[in-house]
Amino acid sequence: MNFKIPNFVKTNQFGLLCLVIFFICIFSFSTDGFTSRFNIYALSRVVALDIMIGLAMMVVILTGGLNLSLGALGVSAAMFGGWCMESMGIPIPISIILVLAFGSFLGWINGFVTVRTGVHSFIVTLATMSIYFGFMTLLTEAEAFRKLPEIFTDFGSLKLFNKYISPLLIISVLTCFILYYVFKFTDIGRKLIAAGANPDAAELSGISVDRMFIYCHMLSGFLAALAGIMLTARIGAAIPSMAGHLGFDWLLPAFLAPVLGGTLLSGGKVTVFGTMLGAILVTLINNGLYLIDVGEFWVRFFLGMILLGAVLLDRAREYFTVKNSIVS
Amino acid sequence: MSNLLKKDWFGLGLVIILGSILISFFKPAFISPFNLYVLMLSVSLMLVVAMSQMIIIAIGQMNLSVGAIGGLVAISFTGLMEVYSMSILPAMLIGLLIGLACGFINGYITVKTGISAFIITLATLYIFKGMNLGITEAQPFYEIPDAVKFFGNAKILGPIPYLVIIPIVITILMWILMNRTSLGRYMLAYGNNVQSSELIGISSTKIVIYAHVISGLLAAIGGMLVVCRLQLGTPNIGDSWLLPSFAAPVIGGAILAGGKVDVIATAFGVILVSIISQALVIFKIDPFFVQIFLGFMILLAVFINRYREYREERRTKVFSYE
Repeated sequence: MNFKIPNFVKTNQFGLLCLVIFFICIFSFSTDGFTSRFNIYALSRVVALDIMIGLAMMVVILTGGLNLSLGALGVSAAMFGGWCMESMGIPIPISIILVLAFGSFLGWINGFVTVRTGVHSFIVTLATMSIYFGFMTLLTEAEAFRKLPEIFTDFGSLKLFNKYISPLLIISVLTCFILYYVFKFTDIGRKLIAAGANPDAAELSGISVDRMFIYCHMLSGFLAALAGIMLTARIGAAIPSMAGHLGFDWLLPAFLAPVLGGTLLSGGKVTVFGTMLGAILVTLINNGLYLIDVGEFWVRFFLGMILLGAVLLDRAREYFTVKNSIVS
Repeated sequence: MSNLLKKDWFGLGLVIILGSILISFFKPAFISPFNLYVLMLSVSLMLVVAMSQMIIIAIGQMNLSVGAIGGLVAISFTGLMEVYSMSILPAMLIGLLIGLACGFINGYITVKTGISAFIITLATLYIFKGMNLGITEAQPFYEIPDAVKFFGNAKILGPIPYLVIIPIVITILMWILMNRTSLGRYMLAYGNNVQSSELIGISSTKIVIYAHVISGLLAAIGGMLVVCRLQLGTPNIGDSWLLPSFAAPVIGGAILAGGKVDVIATAFGVILVSIISQALVIFKIDPFFVQIFLGFMILLAVFINRYREYREERRTKVFSYE
């Protein structure tokens, strides 16, 4: 038996791809509405956001840390954007740049405090989560910005490609390609990965690990702010509660996508396209569960089960590949 | 005296006493019997939740599902009494069993797969919360036996509510567990250094499962205490536990890498957080500030711990040169 399995088949992404195809088949056969134009369009709008949130979490997981403040940060940035556009009348492109800068700044705070205190980013972002969300609620008095410029909100409801795809998805996929390029081919991207994989070795080879970690947190803030803008465009308004209390509604998709995608929680490994596939899988399952009509209250239960099942499967896959490689 | 100064809980105790004197100087209403009663209620509920998280921090992990377990137990406890008209004691026992089972699931999967407890408990958080919502369909249970209502409302003496008894007993038991039993010391050893604790013969399976089971039990007790307090079982019990559950142990000086927790300091952390929240209410400050304040307090605690470590390091360096 000299049959050689291609390397791609052994990767996590391949397993995910199979799962995605498997679920698409199941849902298209078992439900009526799954392949309808409307449903695919709705899916593309949701997937776009989940990918972005997943990427925002992924770049912090790269450092071996976590970013609990993701949702709070994204919503704060989105509300800042709403304030810029509605109350201040700043033109849309400048507003968006300001929002992204604001998100990066909040991310910088996370990174700076984490690096300076040496405390796990879990605790730091747990604290900043309630600080950001609290300030946002105080400053906006929990009022939404509903009179955003029409060009901006129209963009969110635009339908492309024979009315199948939302432009938001194109932004997300584009971001994936850019991040892939950065992590794969640029100096700074390789340095970020090196710092996450082995901080001591990276420090000894002349990389400022602290600075790299701060960059990761800034990038996370940037992506979360982008996700906030996208959500604002999708809803057509900037609402303080759009990510739930303290931004908790973003937390599960944020962890699901990178973890399913094979990003190591201990840091040092990123899988941009794995994260994308993970986000697609989660959205598919979520959407399919609603269509199958399991009852909206059980959807959370199944999502939790799927996360558990996915990490266990991944563990098993790892176990078998390690065993096989030892045998051969 | 110098030994006392080194304890985590000493500084906290000082802050609590000075803070209380200062607040009651400006607002005498702070030490009114009613206010003390409310304060003690909030302390006793949070104490149990904080202990539930603290024991997981001791083994160097985190338990995101504390609130979800509390909520699931709360609605099972009330649901059994309302729908199946069960009497209090069996309903309570089943509630505890559910907490135990939830904790066991967390611990077993974590230790058997070696996957980070963060991910496992994130998954079980959604599973438990989903079961909670699936069962209740987001509707609360209102029919609570009078004995439960009485326990949640009545006072033993002056402003002291009955509800404080269980949390105080739990705190004492936890202190004994962490300081006077081999199981507690093994947990700390495991949290400090997994490899070396395994090398000296500590079974990691046993330690992790025990810690998660105790955490689940405490979360269950917390959930049932909230039912007594609120006089109803709503599905959103436990939703807001995450931040306070970490705040108290961290303010109490627990290191999140594991291996160091202080039961008394954690209890003082709970008291401090409650006093500050209460003071903010008395001074008529926007409730959203309470949240911001809690966030800043965690950061402050983190900075102070870091500073103390830094000073300790410098001192030991000086000695080694001599």
